[in-house]
Amino acid sequence: MSEAQVTAKVAIPDPGIWVDQYGDYLFKYAMFRLRDSYAAEDVVQETFLAALRGYENFQGRGSERTWLVGILKHKITDHYRRITREAPLGEGQEEEGPEHPEFFTRTDGWDNHWNNNYAPTEWHANPAQLVEQSDFWRVFHECLSPLPKRTATAFTFREVDGLKSEEICEMLGITANNLWVMLHRARLHLRNCLEMNWFKREAGRVEK
Amino acid sequence: MSLGFYEKGKHAVRFWLLRRLPPCKEMVEIVSQSFERPLSLRERIIVKLHFWICVWCQWYMEHLKMLRKSLRAKADQIPEMDSALSPGLSFEARERIKRQLSGGK
Repeated sequence: MSEAQVTAKVAIPDPGIWVDQYGDYLFKYAMFRLRDSYAAEDVVQETFLAALRGYENFQGRGSERTWLVGILKHKITDHYRRITREAPLGEGQEEEGPEHPEFFTRTDGWDNHWNNNYAPTEWHANPAQLVEQSDFWRVFHECLSPLPKRTATAFTFREVDGLKSEEICEMLGITANNLWVMLHRARLHLRNCLEMNWFKREAGRVEK
Repeated sequence: MSLGFYEKGKHAVRFWLLRRLPPCKEMVEIVSQSFERPLSLRERIIVKLHFWICVWCQWYMEHLKMLRKSLRAKADQIPEMDSALSPGLSFEARERIKRQLSGGK
């Protein structure tokens, strides 16, 4: 059952096999959070180097991939801290994301309430199944792509990784207020985009 | 059929509330912040009342909850599901990392 773990205890793994086995996974993991293939390659390389140096700390406890991801997370954090230190961003220098005023524009005296064309509709989907459909991920990335990189990254750290607001603020060198605005814009945009390009189409498919 | 007395009253109260509560545009900001910090008592009351009259904002909250829940639950599987994200490590990067690793022994 734990054959791989037992052999792992004995010998340091062949780096070549390691890279083939986990390289793609780690790279995609990093790409999702860095959105820059050079930076992602760098942190993956650093992760493997650190893992090789500290292999005795692993000693076959739990899954090798989980252990590697743990190291990768630290490398990604370090990467953002370094960028933030080298080029601190002043308030408001970079946009937080689209405001979508059209979502709340009405001509019937109810301005600032939902415009009927953009108002949320009921979603008929099982959250657990959602993420197992690769089509959903294509739409998800298309929806994230118009957002500023920093906003998309903050969203990923918060909603996927579940990092604390303070950690994200420190990493990206922003204030809590800044982060809230970014997350709000990301949610507003993403929710609508997913509804238009995924949930409404899925609902149509079920009806037929 | 015309609405009963009770229904008419409910409509009037809802209409009155909708005119006096912060509009949806402000509500969605508060809803978003409710995922980041505890809301004040005043904000909680406003959200409750607004939800009572506005199913759109209710759904908005539901959708944000659902997104967070599903993304976090499967966070570690995303790189595998996600063929759209990127094809993975390029051949050059793969070879370079392998060289680095065997050189660092």
